[in-house]
Amino acid sequence: MKWNSTRTLSLLSLAGVMLLSACGDNNNNSASGNEASSSPSGSAEAGAMDTSPITFSFFGADTSPNWNNMQDDVGKAITAATGVTINAEYDVASGGGQSKIALMAASGQYPDMIFAKGELGKLVDAGAIIDLTDLIDKYAPHIKEIMKDSMNRMKYSVDDQSIYAIPSNVGVGNEYFDATGGFEVQLRVLEELGYPEIRTVQDFENVLKEYAAKHPETDGQPTIPLLLNADGWKSMITVTNPAFIATGAPDDGEYYVDPTTYEAKLHYKRPEEKEYFKWLNHMYNEGLLDKDTFVQKDDQYQAKIASGRVLGLISQEWEYGNAENALKSADKDEYTYGHFPVTLNDQFQDHELQSVGVDGYGISITTACKDPVRAIQFLDWLASEEGQVLMNWGIEGKHYNVVDGKRVIPEDVLDAKVNDAANFAKTTGIGLYPTFTAHYGDGVKDSTGNYYTTNFPDQIVASYSDAEKKALAGYNATTWKDLFPSEKDLPIKDWGALYNMQVPTDGDYQVIYQKTQEIITKRIPQAILAKPEDFDKIYDDFLAELDKAGAEKMEAEYTALVKNRVELFTGKDVQ
Amino acid sequence: METLTAGKAHTANAPGTPRKKKRSFWSDLIRQRYLYLMSIPFVIWLFIFNYLPIWGWTMAFQNYKPAKSFGDQEWVGFDQFNRLFHDDQFYLVLRNTLAMSGMGLIAGFIFPILFAVLLNEVKSMPFKRITQTISYLPHFVSWVVVAGIVTSMLSLDGIVNQLLMWLHLADEPIQFMAKGHWFWGIVTSSDIWKETGWNAIIYLAAITGIDKELYEAAKVDGAGRFRQMWNITLPGIRSTIMVLFIMSIGHLLSIGYEKQMLLGNNLVTDYSQVLDLYALNYGIKIAHFSYGTAISMFNSVISVLLLFTANGLFKKFAKESIM
Repeated sequence: MKWNSTRTLSLLSLAGVMLLSACGDNNNNSASGNEASSSPSGSAEAGAMDTSPITFSFFGADTSPNWNNMQDDVGKAITAATGVTINAEYDVASGGGQSKIALMAASGQYPDMIFAKGELGKLVDAGAIIDLTDLIDKYAPHIKEIMKDSMNRMKYSVDDQSIYAIPSNVGVGNEYFDATGGFEVQLRVLEELGYPEIRTVQDFENVLKEYAAKHPETDGQPTIPLLLNADGWKSMITVTNPAFIATGAPDDGEYYVDPTTYEAKLHYKRPEEKEYFKWLNHMYNEGLLDKDTFVQKDDQYQAKIASGRVLGLISQEWEYGNAENALKSADKDEYTYGHFPVTLNDQFQDHELQSVGVDGYGISITTACKDPVRAIQFLDWLASEEGQVLMNWGIEGKHYNVVDGKRVIPEDVLDAKVNDAANFAKTTGIGLYPTFTAHYGDGVKDSTGNYYTTNFPDQIVASYSDAEKKALAGYNATTWKDLFPSEKDLPIKDWGALYNMQVPTDGDYQVIYQKTQEIITKRIPQAILAKPEDFDKIYDDFLAELDKAGAEKMEAEYTALVKNRVELFTGKDVQ
Repeated sequence: METLTAGKAHTANAPGTPRKKKRSFWSDLIRQRYLYLMSIPFVIWLFIFNYLPIWGWTMAFQNYKPAKSFGDQEWVGFDQFNRLFHDDQFYLVLRNTLAMSGMGLIAGFIFPILFAVLLNEVKSMPFKRITQTISYLPHFVSWVVVAGIVTSMLSLDGIVNQLLMWLHLADEPIQFMAKGHWFWGIVTSSDIWKETGWNAIIYLAAITGIDKELYEAAKVDGAGRFRQMWNITLPGIRSTIMVLFIMSIGHLLSIGYEKQMLLGNNLVTDYSQVLDLYALNYGIKIAHFSYGTAISMFNSVISVLLLFTANGLFKKFAKESIM
């Protein structure tokens, strides 16, 4: 009897699972049925473009936790207009796609389209990516229009001038209206201390120290004056990149490029950066830098921020955004962060807003794609004015209204967008699609005189919380950008942003790079956690160790690549 | 177990002249043709899934490029191995791998056996059942979760430090996860916590196979509980222990990398990097497939060598073997 009841139970649960999955299937079927039935009307409007249902598989090397299989509002509209359904897979954990894409290259099984980020080189070397030059020329008038001033920048290299990727994670013509990087201080700290000037690391330290001394506890837990995230590649964002940010150098990944000779070297070799890490060492020994910094995992880091007890960060808003959103959802706006262009001393200038021109990771079409023409037409439709407005603003009448010829986001939609960001992205799909194609950046206006994106001064200010507005008023500013050196004062970089440059997968370069990375991620934390008197020795040993691992050879190889890139982008002869 | 008995049966047949043995093989084949026929699908299956992939080892002697066909690949001989054996880091990760798997091997035998033997002595059936179930539940918890639990327990304001402070065993919280030389111990302990109950199952099963009359006889002879454990239970599961031990030695080098990757951090990489992680970072991740293949080939060859050595030694000294 006992056996029988177990069996009945398992049969029942099995039946339940089948029923559930059947329901799931039904939902999918009915949904796709709706799309299919609505597509003919779409095709009538679109004219020549083929809008019969088609599915493209896609892999994105970034995580996209809010991806909803195009069952969101924008996704449904895209399918209705183009007939295309994207069957997307995104990288998990901290993203980057390294392992996944390496395996694709080894197995030869590719998705139809891929956003490969820094791993594009592997796929190109494996012959997996098709040259888009002719396809763009024939079928993609909108992409051509957007990229018209930057066609050279899409080319792969001096030796291989094919277009393998359409830059899609940068906005063309982008103008910064807000600063989201620099050093961050909680708004409650600013308010209590009467909006002090925060310009150098000394100011930053004083502010954190003073407030932490006054309030050793936050909501019953110990206050953390400064927190960094050293888990995986994020240690670049919050531990090592700030070293060049705070010493007035632009972001070129792990390198610093001399603007006149184009010589590249690992940025850690700059003497000013040693001083920056020395300051972090000082912060640790003062007890201001959280002791768990180098052992905690990303989720522990985010949880600490979401608890509201972290006073200061050195990061980028997108890096801790999920935790900050949690604070916003909990109505703890005074625990969110303001951004300051902090540098090592007042001799330096923050270069974060320096324009790199059009240079970003992009979307590629692989040899596995059966219908590259449909694929490029799809990308081109997304790049059209209609597509871009849909991706950025959503659906008229639902996510925005046109009032006196201006697009306006209704109060309740904006509230959901700011305070319930994850759910908003999931249900509306706004913000999930721009990485699929070339698009205009902030500050570019469409044919109706409205901005393409929802990031423009009025809208940015409107999405600030009251606490943020109050803090900005305290600094006589309207956006955080007003505190930063403007991009107009900084020259455009000839070599773009080098973290986008693909490096050869052959030869020793990658091995040396991997080795130096391991040395960096090991030694920098050691140097920061050392006793102050040991710091110099550890840091000097660290630099010697880099050279021993072959850093100089790697830098020479990189310098040659940089020079090639400058030549490709600008036509200058720099060899 | 089956291999064990088969091996014994084979040795039992061994006496006799070689000529006779040869003839008996053919007559055996004819007599047992249906058995042989039935085993053919499995031999084919084994061949396809376990032997054909070895063809991929050719990559280790090439400078493999994904897009090219086999004929177009560049052959480089032993270059990849040369590079491997000249890399200091390789020896570091080899040390870590052997250290952690050695510690895991020893702890992974002592604790489950001890646990099984002790649990077997428990008289109350419901208590025994419940304890056993609870003890193997952690096996089903993924390493991601276990690593999270361990890191937060060992963090500065974690429960372990609170306990140490409360007992006045430590003056200030200890940053366990930042100490490289403790890393092996932390991995081994979390492994014990997670797997002890699960690994004990097989020993408990083996113990139930021991003839109850032996215990009764021992009781009559006046043996106490510990005597019985030592003289009956442990010898009774001896062959199970041996078989599992020899097989684990074959897996010494392939301990996976999840634990190390999830529990490790940048401060302890000198102790946390293992061979598989090294193969991933320097092989697959940077698309040097040939180098990765060379590492895994080295791994397989050493594993086979270890297995045969262990088997030979046990055969000689303990008269137990799996082959």
